Amino acid sequence: MPKSKFLPRGRKDRTAVLVDIRPTKSAKACDIFLQVRPGKDFELITILRALIKDQKVSEEAVAETGVSLEQCNDLVDRMKKAKFGCMFFGMGLSMTRGKHMNSAALLTLATEMNAFTKFVAMPMRGHGNVTGADVVMRWQTGYPFGITFNRGYPRYNPGEFSTVDVLVRGDTDAAFIIGADPGATMPQPAIDHLARIPTIVLDPHITHTSKLSRVHITTSVAGISAPGTAYRMDEIPLPLKPALKSPYPTDEEVVRRIKDAIAKKRFWMPEGEQMITAQI
Amino acid sequence: MQPKKFILNPTRTAKQGSQINVGKFGDEYQKIVTTLEISPADMESLGVATGDSVRVSTEFGEAVFQCTEAKVPDGLLFIPYGPPTCRLMNGDTDGTGMPTSKGWEVEVVRVDAPE
Repeated sequence: MPKSKFLPRGRKDRTAVLVDIRPTKSAKACDIFLQVRPGKDFELITILRALIKDQKVSEEAVAETGVSLEQCNDLVDRMKKAKFGCMFFGMGLSMTRGKHMNSAALLTLATEMNAFTKFVAMPMRGHGNVTGADVVMRWQTGYPFGITFNRGYPRYNPGEFSTVDVLVRGDTDAAFIIGADPGATMPQPAIDHLARIPTIVLDPHITHTSKLSRVHITTSVAGISAPGTAYRMDEIPLPLKPALKSPYPTDEEVVRRIKDAIAKKRFWMPEGEQMITAQI
Repeated sequence: MQPKKFILNPTRTAKQGSQINVGKFGDEYQKIVTTLEISPADMESLGVATGDSVRVSTEFGEAVFQCTEAKVPDGLLFIPYGPPTCRLMNGDTDGTGMPTSKGWEVEVVRVDAPE
């Protein structure tokens, strides 16, 4: 870790605390490990929010989280004494019971900590360019995901327009999958619907989604044989330069060619004009 | 034999991440996503040893996994997510857009031969 004016001893001047339901390799790399009971994240965060404001909390309520009151007080003390704190949170919060409410509780804790010292929170991202998808959708439409364009302008409603819900309800009669493998990650009812409808996949590899799709188009790999931009977890865009040549087209080229072919077709409604125009 | 109840957490691992780029139909990836980490005490209660098969079921589906002993808390199971864990997942997102992907209550029972 870098040494700086305020942290001249690098890692030794920093404190890393890990909260997880089991000790992992990260626990060894951290100074403190707090083992929370599964599904008790929201409760633990709420207790921390109370403690930073010197509110009373019952010992039984704390004990239920699997973390002791002493450990909580120590953590709060360290957080308040920090010059600059950062909370990284992952899918253990966002994919368990409570979901976005767990994340919201943590973001509120980070906000409230700013009454004492500088604090931020940042989601830990998975593989690939997950941040890039969110960032681009955000500046293009104002929303990060779960967007519909069916009225000609973007509307956002997770639970209604988000991919899993749309597939599980069977709302779509076609699917176009680019650089993702829902066939190996989504709930089975969503996978079953992808297999029922015409699904088109663009991917450098043959995936589980390719196996259930009607059409698979092999594309070059971004960052290796195709140029592009990947966003770092902290939303810094990194231009990618291809190191190798690929016999396959890029995702962008395939999408552009499909779009141009649609532009030449008649509008799908009996009345009105084709809305999709060829890209210049 | 009566099935026992556990809390299942589908996870990610670095090995699984690199295998995605090698190919999801290779033996290595298949082995990763069908391996279930379980505590020694829980293995004993189920009467299984490392390499034995267990059937994990939820109200939505079931899949067979191979056990491996790991330093995990009693009552918790960990499996790198993949097509077998998808079969156990509920499609309902409770209006959030995110299906519950971790912390499922599952029933586990030993099977004599892998399916």
